[in-house]
Amino acid sequence: MHTSPAKLLILIALSLVILVEGRTVLAFFGINIPPLETALIGLVIIATLVIWAIRPLRGSPTKSE
Amino acid sequence: MTALFVDEYPAEARLVKAAFLSSFIAFGIGALFGIIQALHRTDIFRFIDSIKYYTVLTGHGVFLVIAFTIFFLVGLYQWAVTDSLERGPVDIRFTWFWYGLMAIGSFLAAISILAGFLEQPPMVLGAELRANVLFTFYAPLEANPLYYIGLALFLVGTWLAGIDWFRTWWAWRDENPGERIPLRTFMVLTTMMMFFLGSVGVIVSILVFILPWSLEITESLNPLLTRTLFWFFGHMIVYFWLLPAYLLWYSVLPKLSGGRLFSDPLARVVFILFVLLSTPVGIHHQYMDPGIAEGFKFIAMTNTMFLLLPSFLTAFTVVASMEHGARQRGGEGRFNWLQALPWRNPAFTGMALAGLVFAFGGFTGIVNAGMNINYLVHNALWIPGHIHAQVGTATALTLMAGSYWLVPQLTGNRLVGRQVALFQVVLWFVGIVFMTNSMFRAGLVGVPRRTAEPQYQGFEYDVPVGSMGELNAQLALGGTLLFISAMLFLVLMLLTVFNNDSEPIVDGTLPPALSGPEDSPQVLDNLRLWFGIAFALVVLAYALPLAGIVAQSGLFGQDIPPFPVSSEAVMYLEFGLDYVGALVT
Amino acid sequence: MRIHQYEKIWIAGAMILIVGFIVTITYGSVGLGITMIGDEEETIAPDELNDDEQFGEPRVEQVGENEYAAYVVAQTFIFQPDPIEIPANNEITFYVTSRDVIHGFYVPGTNINAMAIPGQVAELTVEFDEPGEHGLICHEYCGSGHHTMEGLIVVQSEDEFDLTELSAETPDTVAPGEQIQLNATVENGQLEPLETTVNAEIGDQTFQQDLTVDGKSTQNVTFTADSTQLGVGEHDWTVTVDDYEETGTVEVVSNETDEQAGGDES
Ligand code: HEM
Ligand SMILES: [Cu+2]
Ligand SMILES: [Cu+2]
Repeated sequence: MHTSPAKLLILIALSLVILVEGRTVLAFFGINIPPLETALIGLVIIATLVIWAIRPLRGSPTKSE
Repeated sequence: MTALFVDEYPAEARLVKAAFLSSFIAFGIGALFGIIQALHRTDIFRFIDSIKYYTVLTGHGVFLVIAFTIFFLVGLYQWAVTDSLERGPVDIRFTWFWYGLMAIGSFLAAISILAGFLEQPPMVLGAELRANVLFTFYAPLEANPLYYIGLALFLVGTWLAGIDWFRTWWAWRDENPGERIPLRTFMVLTTMMMFFLGSVGVIVSILVFILPWSLEITESLNPLLTRTLFWFFGHMIVYFWLLPAYLLWYSVLPKLSGGRLFSDPLARVVFILFVLLSTPVGIHHQYMDPGIAEGFKFIAMTNTMFLLLPSFLTAFTVVASMEHGARQRGGEGRFNWLQALPWRNPAFTGMALAGLVFAFGGFTGIVNAGMNINYLVHNALWIPGHIHAQVGTATALTLMAGSYWLVPQLTGNRLVGRQVALFQVVLWFVGIVFMTNSMFRAGLVGVPRRTAEPQYQGFEYDVPVGSMGELNAQLALGGTLLFISAMLFLVLMLLTVFNNDSEPIVDGTLPPALSGPEDSPQVLDNLRLWFGIAFALVVLAYALPLAGIVAQSGLFGQDIPPFPVSSEAVMYLEFGLDYVGALVT
Repeated sequence: MRIHQYEKIWIAGAMILIVGFIVTITYGSVGLGITMIGDEEETIAPDELNDDEQFGEPRVEQVGENEYAAYVVAQTFIFQPDPIEIPANNEITFYVTSRDVIHGFYVPGTNINAMAIPGQVAELTVEFDEPGEHGLICHEYCGSGHHTMEGLIVVQSEDEFDLTELSAETPDTVAPGEQIQLNATVENGQLEPLETTVNAEIGDQTFQQDLTVDGKSTQNVTFTADSTQLGVGEHDWTVTVDDYEETGTVEVVSNETDEQAGGDES
């Protein structure tokens, strides 16, 4: 584990929030991300975060490289 | 670990629990109404008649921002006063008396609102039992007198609560001559001073004008006067919602982060600034109102901007205290200390996220306060966006998070489902961002608030980015997440209350501030002085506008009869036709 | 009182920001000459609206070169007049009041935003650059039909816009041999004189007359047709001025039937 489940949860929440608000901000500058793509980006972010979080630690005692 | 609050002060704990219970019941109904609104106005799922929407909306407003927030406030403040003065009220029967008044008052108001769902409402006090007038009850819309009586009783109860805490403090002062007012008590007393001053407006509005008029004792009233008196109270009340959250951020959050409050004197300054500035700004809700001179609107705007100061100070102190806590816990680095914070703790995480949303919502508040920009957003859906970021999250989420910390100490039971609780607060955070983001965007294209069907025949909204459908879907999604989160909270609270044979694992002690009261000048505790200045500021801001309004149309207006809001549209058509008829002939 | 160094910097920064906001807003409203809704207007009791010179007949009126006034009454659950027709590129001052409860006056997506409070008159001045239609909604909760309360603002190009009103009348019946008099009244609400042509038709007889109506005044034109020529029976008539048209019928009845003549047609 790279991080605790609690922090993972909060990271996911924060990235969703940044995604939603960031999309609005970008729209002000004329960059439009359609809803479907936004949802996809969200899923990718969540997946990345989860994979990053549960990826075994480098040099962790439970697994060798 | 020191003794639990419930063990030390069982009688007071009982009262706090009663207040929280009332608060949570109101929260449950309010949240249910919230999701109904979110689905109805977006036309995603309509299962009530649009006329009944306004019954729901009145309930949402009254149950959430009158009952939920204020019942929680009185409970929390009773805890704060008792715990920080280490003594109970002078006479606990008086304490129960004001709680009783508040309970009866809100019950009467609730009955008169909920009767709006009946097809055949009973006649009460000579009128149909209804109150579809929203929580702002702008006359000449008229509710059943019972609604106003209920609100008045509730307000009087809140007044008495304030008096009760002052009495407790006076008694404590006699026992501890020369001592500084403990910080939490200081916060309670200053909040109540603010409330005494600001609530005069609405109390006069109800007791002198609206209630006698709805009972047909007086025949007319001045709608601009009652509206102005409402907003005299209306901006103060938003800080009344917020200050319990501030109290928790100042006293509990630093401790939860693992440290202590950064500065006691600055906390006092912040609360004093609220006493001084939170009332003479109410006219910023009336930028669009005819009959109030531009100059007064300008003064209100300036005061409002200065009212940002205490919140800026709070942001600093809270973040600094959190950083201090994190470093105590071994956090290091410029930003890495954030990782050392106790994110697993729902009480901590909830408050921290609430603070984050509050900072964001504050910026939307600056937009509202700008006299010129306000023209774009006044009464648009943008405003509920702001409302939900502030009272709907900064306050509501902090109170929920605070409950996770406090309720175990009030019941002696361990909190059930800590992980679920963490999920719950995070879910609220995500839900609120979805919902308010869509409200802000919809507001900017001109979607009005307080409307059952904001879909019109004569025009289409000009949505520059995305579509109305997308905005609606996002609002409903956010609302649904919020509703789920609210229900999770209530279930956890319920389970905790019945989690009898457990030991709580909270430490209720609150460490003193890093820079304690000895660093703060004595004058900060001179409550009379601050009240006097606050009073003078209110007179300065309000005497002339009120005099102007009265001079224009008289204290009781120009023959303004009541317009009972019935759920039968027919009645209105008749009114309309009468007038059209009168025009033609 | 001990204040941490960082805290002092923060407070100073906050104060600068606050003063900055105040200056920006002041400049953005006062500086740019944007007038806000204030208390300039006289109050008016809702039950006296019908007798009021301005609100008795809610309308758009020209008050100066390129300046118009629009008197609007909001009431459950309509706006009057509806639609509100105004010219583009002209200064329009709206005077908005309410006949019953508090209403709103809002053109979504714009800063045309005011409260209509019974007893009070909100004054706001706007200018539309482009012709087009704009929704007007009530955005203050006003009762059970609140969500149905909407109006329309129709902005016409300057050339197209006028404040002409046409009314016309004939007797309902005339006896054979009598003259049929068709009275047309053309009202010009604008300040410039209106030069136009009145066309009329009674049965199969056609008439035409050029007409100049001075600013803010009315002119009458009378066309006379011979009823004998038209014969017994009903005859349609039409009067047109620019885009306006009035129609009606007149009946020529033989003397035996003792019917009342007169009545009006508008
Ligand atoms: C379950 C979560 C909630 C949902 C889904 C929700 C939804 C809504 C919606 C859609 C509106 C706009 C109604 C309209 O203008 O037509 C609204 C208004 C409002 N909400 Fe909420 N809300 C929720 C929670 C809260 C909370 C926790 C608070 C405060 C503590 C709150 C306070 C308000 C207030 C003050 C208004 C304005 C009422 C008025 O205009 O009279 N809401 N809510
Ligand atoms: Cu306010
Ligand atoms: Cu309305």
